[in-house]
Amino acid sequence: MNWELISKATEYTAEEMGVALKRSAFSPNIKERMDHSCAILDSRGTMVAQAEHIPVHLGSFRIGALNILNWMCSNSMSLSPGDMLLTNDPYITGTHLNDVTVLAPVYNGSKTMCYVISKAHIVDVGGPVYGSINPSAKTLYEEGIIIDPVRILKGSRLDSEILSILTANFKDPQAAAGDLNAQIAANRTGVTRMNQLFQRYTPSEIYDAWERSVKRSRDLALHSMRKWRRGCFSALEHLELGSSLIPLKLKLEVSEEGIGADFTGTSSQLESPLNAVFGVTFSATMFSVRCAMASEIPVNEGLFSVVQVYADPASLLNPAKPAPVSGGNVETAQRVADLVFQALSKCVPGTIPSGSSGTMFNVMIGGLRENGSGWAYYETIGGGNGGRPGSDGVSAVHSNMTNTRNTPVEVAEREYPVLFTRCSVRRGSGGRGIHSGGDGIVRSFKVLTRARLSILADRFRTRPYALEGGKQGMPGKVKIVRRGAVKLYPSKFMEELEPGDEVTLITPGGSGYGKPPHKPRRN
Amino acid sequence: MGLDVAVDIGGTFTDIVVCRDGRIEKAWKVSTAPVAPERAVVEALREARLPPISNFLHATTIATNAILGQKGLELPKVALIATKGFSDIIEVARQNRPSLYELEFSKPKPLVPRGLRFEVDERVNFEGDVLKRPADAQLRRLVSSIRRSGAECAAVCLLHSYSNPSHEIAVGRRLRATGLETCLSYEVDPEPGEYERTSTTVVNAALTPVVSTYLKRLGSSLRKMGAPGVAVMSSSGGLTTVEEAGAKPINLIESGPAAGLIAAAELCSQLKIGKAISFDMGGTTAKAGVVIDGEVGLTAEYEVGGRIHHGRIVKGTGYPVRSTFVDLAEVSSGGGSIVWKDGGGGINVGPLSAGAEPGPVAYGRGGSDPTVTDANLVLGVISEIMPGGRGVLRRDLATRAFSRLGEPTEVAQTALKIAQLEAARAIRMVTVERGLDPSEFTLIAFGGAGPQLAANMASELGVRRVLVPPSPGLFSAIGLLVSDWRYELKSSYPRNLASEFRRMEARLRGRLGSPRFIRYADCRYSGQGSAVTIRLDSCETPQVEEEFIRAHRRIFGFTIDASVQVQTIRVMAVVRRAKAAWPSQPPVEAAPQKLGNTGRNLMVDGNWVDAKVYQRGSLATSFETDGPALVDEDGSTTLVPPGWRMSIGRLGDIRMEAKQTR
Repeated sequence: MNWELISKATEYTAEEMGVALKRSAFSPNIKERMDHSCAILDSRGTMVAQAEHIPVHLGSFRIGALNILNWMCSNSMSLSPGDMLLTNDPYITGTHLNDVTVLAPVYNGSKTMCYVISKAHIVDVGGPVYGSINPSAKTLYEEGIIIDPVRILKGSRLDSEILSILTANFKDPQAAAGDLNAQIAANRTGVTRMNQLFQRYTPSEIYDAWERSVKRSRDLALHSMRKWRRGCFSALEHLELGSSLIPLKLKLEVSEEGIGADFTGTSSQLESPLNAVFGVTFSATMFSVRCAMASEIPVNEGLFSVVQVYADPASLLNPAKPAPVSGGNVETAQRVADLVFQALSKCVPGTIPSGSSGTMFNVMIGGLRENGSGWAYYETIGGGNGGRPGSDGVSAVHSNMTNTRNTPVEVAEREYPVLFTRCSVRRGSGGRGIHSGGDGIVRSFKVLTRARLSILADRFRTRPYALEGGKQGMPGKVKIVRRGAVKLYPSKFMEELEPGDEVTLITPGGSGYGKPPHKPRRN
Repeated sequence: MGLDVAVDIGGTFTDIVVCRDGRIEKAWKVSTAPVAPERAVVEALREARLPPISNFLHATTIATNAILGQKGLELPKVALIATKGFSDIIEVARQNRPSLYELEFSKPKPLVPRGLRFEVDERVNFEGDVLKRPADAQLRRLVSSIRRSGAECAAVCLLHSYSNPSHEIAVGRRLRATGLETCLSYEVDPEPGEYERTSTTVVNAALTPVVSTYLKRLGSSLRKMGAPGVAVMSSSGGLTTVEEAGAKPINLIESGPAAGLIAAAELCSQLKIGKAISFDMGGTTAKAGVVIDGEVGLTAEYEVGGRIHHGRIVKGTGYPVRSTFVDLAEVSSGGGSIVWKDGGGGINVGPLSAGAEPGPVAYGRGGSDPTVTDANLVLGVISEIMPGGRGVLRRDLATRAFSRLGEPTEVAQTALKIAQLEAARAIRMVTVERGLDPSEFTLIAFGGAGPQLAANMASELGVRRVLVPPSPGLFSAIGLLVSDWRYELKSSYPRNLASEFRRMEARLRGRLGSPRFIRYADCRYSGQGSAVTIRLDSCETPQVEEEFIRAHRRIFGFTIDASVQVQTIRVMAVVRRAKAAWPSQPPVEAAPQKLGNTGRNLMVDGNWVDAKVYQRGSLATSFETDGPALVDEDGSTTLVPPGWRMSIGRLGDIRMEAKQTR
């Protein structure tokens, strides 16, 4: 009877860690945008509970945690009570360099009973670009500093020497140190809670409970797929890079045992940050499948176990180190989700929406303040949500792999030398349909000092897929006005800005669902 | 003091307590009339044939119901006036979706449709410097197009108006001159964060006609009953006048729950309890709040109409409103929460509730899904005979409903444990997450369902003392009787802390004489994403910074070497109202079924035990006994588990204490 209580208490612990992290985090990126996740792993690294606030972290712990434990094993590293491990190597953690992962063991006597783990997007982790997501990176080394697993806490003491090596490389050291402290505090909360659980119940009761909750999630997942068509469904999508289009291919096999997603035929890895480490590919696949399951399923290994993912080694979706990957979990992840949704639309017809804006529209901007200190501002911009089988798509919103909130204009202007000139709905940009696509966003700002702007976006030349005869949403645009002259830009670039330059970001609309009636219906 | 009448209008029931010179003469419940709630009240009071009323103290859900779109409470058409380029802020909101994995998610419908959004070409920067002044001709055109739009009231929210409101004032003056009801954002919510300030201002504008009409109708109905002074409970836990409430109706959103927390705070002062958790569990939700040294915890943001998940309002499901609210965490766990089994075979409780209709299965009104109340009945926690002779609960129906999910007593026990765990989360949120240790607190349990599981839940949290006040079902209404007046002012980014506090306090003194002031400051490290509210003893900058650093260390476990920024400061003025320290309860009327204190079969940790049953009214002060025991009263039952000792306190309160470490 206690297993349900133990598994609930474990889920709540993950969530409480997330709240602790958000509350004490320093940067608006975590505080306001909730770009972080927390989880509990058993002693073998199996995920037993996760609280994620951003879908791109869904499932990446599954791969990241095992990689960390394997790394510790092969490097003879062990964690004593009070130690915490920190790493940001995307080929270990399963996302990108900005996502710093901190892991802490939970001891009962002399035995490691489980781990708590947290991941948070640190705005800048070094490299040539403010915000570290470098659109022109050709290797991982151009995306920031790589931190192999290292003990940042030794016996509950913060290793300030390691911390100072890190923050010396970060362009906003104070914010980074604050956010790392918040991660450590969140892990402490997790360790305390799990210690309490091990005081109240015996280890075998707890392990039994976790096993049962993992099995229950698997059963729930398979149960929710019982009416899906069995068979093989394929789909094709593209990402933009310079003047070429990069193909992504999927064969999705659905059977009684679950789902196999095979990305064979996808482009090989690129000298561009669009590569997505395997953890991202898994997360994005898992995301679309979970949405289609349309039921509340506790997130743990049981849910993950119904999806098997394959991508060729050294391909765009499973690159080899040191291929650059910073854009993988922001842009490529969106396209993988689109790809899986398209395949699922043939497997579970009448439930999958048309394509949403399909880009996180990453904006990184920074420079030096008058006093010589650096500033770095990172923002992602929502777009139009695709028309759904039962309703119009939502306007001006984040879809699929991200859900971060915008930074309020009044907050951003106080923190950074920018002046906003517009934030509005891009009317008429959603594709028409029986249910039309949602509209994108127009956001404009002027810089007040010299600054370096980087944009990593997509769907400027391609448009979101449309189902059942709907019309496609309008593509995105960036324009910069300098002394009255207007210049249009591609979806990925870096530019040096002069004071007074006005940047306008125009995000894509969602596609409509179903053949539209003759007259336009929306204002 | 004279005759005080306290009326708490809730979603299902309206609670009425009549108090003469500090003694409660009569207390009862009537059904709420949702569309014209004042009618049921006036009727009930007329039937009670009361002498002229001196004070009418009121808590109401009307503001919340109007936002939730309750029929008969239509919101007016509101025009929004924003800075050029920013009128869609009300629709873009924070650009996030309320649920991550739901394909057909929706954002709340913007409170102002696209056709009613207007823009002014003006701009102020964050320091309050004017970058562009609005042209007169433009303002004239604006006003006439707003008049043509058919808007019934207006909300003006311009960028950075909390720093420099002159442009808002200019727009407001012209709109008000045409007779249009107008709310200015710097008056309603002078804080940075344009979406939240816009939403707060729009919600306030939309509620103004509904709430002020209601209060006027109530006032005129009461005129025939002695024309009492009317005081309304605000979300911050203080009484406000009808005029204040009508001008700032957003302050009434948590009116009822605030009254419950104030009742707990006053009870603590009476009984010299330093730290207490108030725990209010009714039919659909459980709410927890904290009282320290007689003061209630406060918070500055709330989402009205939002969906609640795991005790937190899901951001983006409702409309944010920034104002001072008593700090309550709410979970969907109540007596009516439905017990169900998922596809993986796990037992779950809530968030769906059987509500008042059909209610728990045992009510025999057609409900088929078992609830927490049914679980309490099956396990013997509550009696089959409803106290007060109000009917019989059908244990056979409840058992049958559980048997569809498994072995009935086993399912019921699991359900209660899950309900307790869920309710305990609400308490964790207001204690552990605020850096407070629940084991140092006394749990004050009320509402119909609170006393049933309070002690078991306390064990879960390491809490060792539980208190159940007299008439736990009417506790919020009693809170109205012991409340004082409160008024608040706030200001953002003050240039000089001490002089800004002095300026605000002088303004309040001008209106109120010599109130007691409570000062707060929202502080953060420079560059940090959000602020911590601290209470100030001194308003000198160095002391404020020290206080913030202490609070940061207490709550988050660390501090950093960065400068401290004061974002918003608030002053709360408290004016005491003439009243009894604590209203005394009426003598118990003898009712036949409580003559014999009999036993009841109670399930404890999987075994049936014979628990003593007491009728609360028959227990004298200083009575003591050990658990397992049950105390029945009209509308509630207190469970004293094994390992707990109960006694009756001097105010008729039930006290329970854990005997040993469990």
